[in-house]
Amino acid sequence: MQLDVHRYPRDTCVVLVVLGDLDLAGAPRLRQAVVSETATGIRHLVLDLTAVDFIDSTGLGVVVGALRRLRAHDAELSLVCPEPRIRRVFEICDLDRVFTLHATLDDAVPAGGSQ
Amino acid sequence: MSSASRPVGSVEIAVPPTPEYLQVVRAIVGATAALDDRLQPGRVADVRLVVSEAVTNAIRAQATVGVAAAIDVRCDLVGDRIIVEVADHGPGFDPSAVPDLPEVETPERLRHESGLGVSLMHQLADSAQFESGPGGTIVKLTFVVGDA
Repeated sequence: MQLDVHRYPRDTCVVLVVLGDLDLAGAPRLRQAVVSETATGIRHLVLDLTAVDFIDSTGLGVVVGALRRLRAHDAELSLVCPEPRIRRVFEICDLDRVFTLHATLDDAVPAGGSQ
Repeated sequence: MSSASRPVGSVEIAVPPTPEYLQVVRAIVGATAALDDRLQPGRVADVRLVVSEAVTNAIRAQATVGVAAAIDVRCDLVGDRIIVEVADHGPGFDPSAVPDLPEVETPERLRHESGLGVSLMHQLADSAQFESGPGGTIVKLTFVVGDA
């Protein structure tokens, strides 16, 4: 499975659900989706990585780039990343010190408001 | 599986230098490595990750010089080792000159969206060797498997 990105609004944020392999083949699709959201003046973006089957350093680079873009627009990025095999790649690269890897969407965005 | 029946052999594939083939490489190399039942599932995931990193670097290297030749990927099961080799026809690089990334918690780090691949290969494989010259680069990644 290559990469697919589904978008939906939730409270005051937008959730991008990422499905498939986040590698050199899939990275451009997610990067473009993030750029499009940033251009709308979004305040809080959530990347839901629950259905990501594989991530490598190229995929991590897109997530790091998303954080940089959103911060440049005074916006916030949250990650939902419950799968141990995906969390491990963040941990190996020490990026778990940069991102909070939420286990569920409710943890990342409590119902009724954007944290 | 007894040690007498453990697989010994090689798989070789020639991959077009395009990102769409990364998934194929991971599937074939990962499945080949998993034939050795001494390799824990987490280590199979490591094999899949490092071969993806090596082939990604190969694709990028060849793209910089417009070379369309296939990238050669090989996976050998030999004794207590699984050896993955990736050979490209890019311009080569100096492995000792790969710069360290800024500290992960500094704002400077966010400017770097790439550069982790070689570091990951060194961290996850038991041995990561790079032979590079004007004709291309050969990455040799070795995993040592112990008796289960």
